[in-house]
Amino acid sequence: VNRKVLLIGLAVVLPLAGILAVNIKRDPNPSLQRSPLVGRKAPPFTLTPVGGGAAVSLEGLRGHPVVVNFWATWCVPCFQEHAVLLRGARAHGAQVQFLGVVYEDEEERVRSFLSEEGMAYPSLLDTSGRTAIAYGVFGVPETYFIDADGAIAYKHVGPLDDATLEENIGRIAPRAVTEAR
Amino acid sequence: MSARAWLLALTALLPVAALAQPAAPPSAAASSAFEGVADDARHVLGGPQGRGLSGPELDARTGQVAALLRCPVCQGLSVADSPSTAAQNMRHQIRDLLAAGYDDQQVMAYFESSYGEFVRLQPPLRGINWLLWIAPALALLGGGFVLARVTRRRAAAGAAPAAAPEPVAASIDPALAGYRDRVRALVHDEDEAATGASRKDRG
Repeated sequence: VNRKVLLIGLAVVLPLAGILAVNIKRDPNPSLQRSPLVGRKAPPFTLTPVGGGAAVSLEGLRGHPVVVNFWATWCVPCFQEHAVLLRGARAHGAQVQFLGVVYEDEEERVRSFLSEEGMAYPSLLDTSGRTAIAYGVFGVPETYFIDADGAIAYKHVGPLDDATLEENIGRIAPRAVTEAR
Repeated sequence: MSARAWLLALTALLPVAALAQPAAPPSAAASSAFEGVADDARHVLGGPQGRGLSGPELDARTGQVAALLRCPVCQGLSVADSPSTAAQNMRHQIRDLLAAGYDDQQVMAYFESSYGEFVRLQPPLRGINWLLWIAPALALLGGGFVLARVTRRRAAAGAAPAAAPEPVAASIDPALAGYRDRVRALVHDEDEAATGASRKDRG
């Protein structure tokens, strides 16, 4: 019949096929999309560390680059990246402040985890979950690299390896990485 | 058109199921911790633009706003519908913001500032999203137009050749078929009587 029917059919089908072709490889996981916070001022927080002690405020660290790692003891990838973060904090602790923020976990478990696995920087308790909301945390682990001016330079989703950690510390504290080498 | 635009165009063709999500009852647990809410919101939004809510009004509004936000750790559930801790924390946050006088739009904007537009279950009317909202209406109008044209043309084509009238039997309501048969039988009898073939008496 007809050319017309064919044309209309193609007009409907081709765009759909195009959409499919373009998007078939896209990961629908929303946590992998770029965070709207990147490039903006990091949401402020003041939280108490695991094991007690004075509350730590992000505002109080202005002037220092900060690595904020959201984690939990029930999260297997967090366990895997713990050693990476310990090494990073020991190597760059003088220039970069590392902070853990505990996500949906109990203080007691966190305390025993840290005493077994080692601790090189404070882990803070976010009992109300407000800090996780303010940072748009989808799940753990997620790590935010905050520069000395308090702006979020990068958000990493998933466990960090040494190279990724180094690379992103380089973004917020270029000197820290070159000095450590 | 960008990949995103195409994706949105495709989505536009699907029924917007998310809109049909009913507002869940407000969460019973009121947040006791009020620490730092206003500070953080002020950091993002500035001052509150509404009046602080309380009591049943606050409960109801919390449920309404929560139903419009997507739970970030769930698959396609609203913050109102999800039992997860993350959604619970978000409901507390919504409640505290509403109580502090932030209006619905500000509360939505607060969550959007950290989670992105993804967190809204209803895509806001801006930019390419317009397509999402008007495409179904356009598709309906277009379809109606095509249908009207085709029907009119068929009617015109059907009128031209003197089509044989359809036999009545084909289109009769089955419920009336019994009556028709009785009428036929009666007429048939009359005919036979008229020709004087038979039947002496009737009724």
